Amino acid sequence: MIAVFLAQWQKEKRSPYAILLFIALGIMLTIVFGMGAAKKMSYAVYAGDGLEAPQAAEWVRLLNREGKFEFRLIEEERALRDVREGRAELAVKLMAEDYRIVMAADNPANREVEELVRTVYNEELQLRAAAASADDPQQYLEDVERRLRQPPLALEIEAADGGEPVRNDMSLQLLFAFTLYTVIMTVGYKVNAVMEERSSGVWDRMILSPLRKTEIYLGHMGYSFCIGMTHIAVALALFRYVFGFPIGDRYGMLLVVAAIYTIALVAVGMLLTGLTRTPEQFGIVLQIAAAAMPLLGGAYWPPGTVTNPIILAVSEFVPLTHAMEAMKGIALQQYGPAELAAPLAKLLLIAVLCMGVGINMVERRSH
Amino acid sequence: MLETTELVKRFKGTYAVQGVSLYLDKGESVGLLGPNGAGKSTTISMISSLIKPTSGDVLLYGNSVVKNPAAIRKVLGVVPQEIALYEELTAYENLKFFGRIYKLKGKELELRIQEVLDMVGLRERQKELVRTYSGGMKRRINIAAALLHEPEIVIMDEPTVGIDPQSRNHILDTVRLLNREKGTTVLYTSHYMEEVEQLCSRMYIMDHGKVIASGSKQELKRILTGEDILHLQLDGPGAGMAGELRMLDAVLQVEETENGLKLIVAKQSRILSQVVQIAERHQVEILRVHVHTPSLEDVFLHLTGRTLRD
Repeated sequence: MIAVFLAQWQKEKRSPYAILLFIALGIMLTIVFGMGAAKKMSYAVYAGDGLEAPQAAEWVRLLNREGKFEFRLIEEERALRDVREGRAELAVKLMAEDYRIVMAADNPANREVEELVRTVYNEELQLRAAAASADDPQQYLEDVERRLRQPPLALEIEAADGGEPVRNDMSLQLLFAFTLYTVIMTVGYKVNAVMEERSSGVWDRMILSPLRKTEIYLGHMGYSFCIGMTHIAVALALFRYVFGFPIGDRYGMLLVVAAIYTIALVAVGMLLTGLTRTPEQFGIVLQIAAAAMPLLGGAYWPPGTVTNPIILAVSEFVPLTHAMEAMKGIALQQYGPAELAAPLAKLLLIAVLCMGVGINMVERRSH
Repeated sequence: MLETTELVKRFKGTYAVQGVSLYLDKGESVGLLGPNGAGKSTTISMISSLIKPTSGDVLLYGNSVVKNPAAIRKVLGVVPQEIALYEELTAYENLKFFGRIYKLKGKELELRIQEVLDMVGLRERQKELVRTYSGGMKRRINIAAALLHEPEIVIMDEPTVGIDPQSRNHILDTVRLLNREKGTTVLYTSHYMEEVEQLCSRMYIMDHGKVIASGSKQELKRILTGEDILHLQLDGPGAGMAGELRMLDAVLQVEETENGLKLIVAKQSRILSQVVQIAERHQVEILRVHVHTPSLEDVFLHLTGRTLRD
């Protein structure tokens, strides 16, 4: 077993670029998308139809008060040029009692911006109209503002267990998603060594040696596991200690989940080895499977986005779904052993099933 | 020492090997000849315990290899047809790995690595990556990897396919050294009749999954003692006249060659005048006629109706 493990390690030392590339890819994707997800979307607004600068600034203040998006006041010419040349999705033309939205294309995100602008304008114009009919408009406005600060009805949101509701942190979710996604490729390509050795004849040489089959499989799977774990540990450590991501203090617990997830990935790799006939076929199937796993598990979207019951049922067979649940639970919701038991048990079940079926298929092909 | 009894292997209804029985005595060098698809590699895989026979058995010192594969694996070295090495590693690293899986370690392993490198003549280049080697050098390391644990029996599956003459000679010398000086039993599979003639004292000829002839070189040549071989060098294609030649009673076999025809004819059949007449009818000029006694290649052609490289 050690001889098989060491041979893989020697090959790795000669050519470590693939694993380094996948680690770098995971980090890069997290930085680009994860850090981007933490930032608010920014949109340009400009003053139109003789709107004075103080009035325009007031509308910008009201739009930004919601805190959902960031609105920046810029010159009309620049705002329109940015939309025309594809640098901006939209621009908002502010008027005294109306607005216009100039869009490059109609899409759900733009409609969300439009809805916000409409709401802000409706509320403000209704308030101004009511104030205008009051005896003392200024006093009326101050009264409204005071009552809004002390509303007669207060709405409180709490979690099902009565505690503080947990806000989903998209940047943290994407960190886990991209790390768990890229490690599929790392582990997959390591398990593919079994297929490569079967093709080259090295496998047969090992079979004819005093090595037991268990030792050969364990050598390969142990090595793939170690590389996968190193990948996850390095990525998480980098984001925690270098980039300062709030992954919590339970780094060790995250590594336990990572270990069980990596075992499941090794097992899925063995299943693919059993299902395919050449290293090239394995590579193609791995890429398809790796790309599909996060999509099925809804790893890239906020919770609750995927609602299709078929996709949700399929995602139960995807290790990434359960690893994401466990990792997010540890980092955001202080999951304890009781909450972690279900996702980890599912991961182990996937591991046992895939490993059993995969090795069985590989062995049947040998005969 | 090693014996197969009525080995049969069937893959999805197709017989790859049908009732092959052969034996190897200790210290013998035996050839296994046959064209592509004859069943040589399948036979070797069954002997080495890589695949289980559909029926029949392989006996090592009278004990079943099918029931107890570990017994033969200890004493067997297999040189596969493909280059079964890690191309990303050096020759030395490859040999170290293959030595380790045979439980060799420390000084013993180092000693064996240098010995086999000497044997295949690559000691000076052991630190180079296998991927940078020529085809012949890779084949030599492929052989070295099978010899590390000093096996009693070495099975070589076409070890000289597609390599340069220098490497080929080196490999043939290695096989001679193994067999004659170290007393290793060798089962040598090849397309090349001359290699088997040089190296092996006995041989088996396989075709369509069966052994169709066996014996020493002399015994096999005796199959064709009643025949002569006629080589006709022609000034044009001989395909046209081949059909008519086959109709002659004395002609047993006709094969087209690069520059004419090769005929196996009954000894002293005096058919030359008929051959000349047929050539005239087909407006083909016979430039040269050469008569010789049959070689093993001719025996193979006679037995199978095709050449070894078909």
